[in-house]
Amino acid sequence: MMIPVRCFTCGNVVAEHWEEFKARAREGDEDPAEVLDELGVERACCRRMMVSHKDLVDVVAPYQ
Amino acid sequence: MSDEFEVEFIEREERSARFVVRGLTPAIANGIRRAMITDVPTLSIDTVRFVENSSVMFDEMIGLRLGLVPLTTPLDDFEVGDDVTLALDVEGPATAYSGDIETSDELVQPADENIPIIELKEGQRLEFEADAVLETGKSHAKHQGGVAVGYRHLQKVEVVGDAGEFDEEEPNILRGVVETEEGELVATDEFGNDLTNRYPGKEVEVTDVPGAFVFHVETDGSFTADELLLRAIDSIDARAAELEDAVAV
Repeated sequence: MMIPVRCFTCGNVVAEHWEEFKARAREGDEDPAEVLDELGVERACCRRMMVSHKDLVDVVAPYQ
Repeated sequence: MSDEFEVEFIEREERSARFVVRGLTPAIANGIRRAMITDVPTLSIDTVRFVENSSVMFDEMIGLRLGLVPLTTPLDDFEVGDDVTLALDVEGPATAYSGDIETSDELVQPADENIPIIELKEGQRLEFEADAVLETGKSHAKHQGGVAVGYRHLQKVEVVGDAGEFDEEEPNILRGVVETEEGELVATDEFGNDLTNRYPGKEVEVTDVPGAFVFHVETDGSFTADELLLRAIDSIDARAAELEDAVAV
């Protein structure tokens, strides 16, 4: 639904960087790995939170 | 164990630090690590009173997200159990961010301001009042100030000779911080974590340095990494004093 606030594994706050990551790597055409490096999301556990996430609010909203 | 510890910082930033401590036993090193995780309290939202929630998420789901938002914690001004009132009121179409949370105490603010709490569509509204309470990591993981706190042995790298001329060049991966023969401390990511990059064509030997530990500390933003470490040591000190009192004849 929404990006989890923290990484499931290590507890680092990842949601802080989601909107920038989404704008640059998902909607933009930058390399996701480079964007994550720049944002300071270093560990593989935190990176998978961002790479594997899908926003679902738009999908669920009509059924409210 | 010696009476004096020797501490040397390799990296020292607001929210993260990497340092070497000499003169520790593994028991003390682990004690410090555990104290950083469980004994240093942080403020975190604990109770939420919803006035209106017409978003796509249930109250409980939003409550969970709010609990995980780190809040700046001035530990000198609060005692464990104290609480602070926070409030938020956002009407769609908009996204409610952690930065929109208003607090009754200026010293307590969301440590990160761009955490999306919930995306609100046209006509949806989120309004609540919440209590943040100061507790330790023992009671709930959301109160842990330290994130990915750990340590490993300091390793010493010594050149023992040349690699055989026709030996296969295999990577020699090492992570953390190493001590060179000159006594210099080098973070392994400076040479791509591969010793063959730093000592090409040499045969090296890696040994643990007794009593020396490399700590890596990160905080969630509640306080600085320095403060986390100092508070953790204070808590060990206080408990040791308490034990001494309890067993005194």
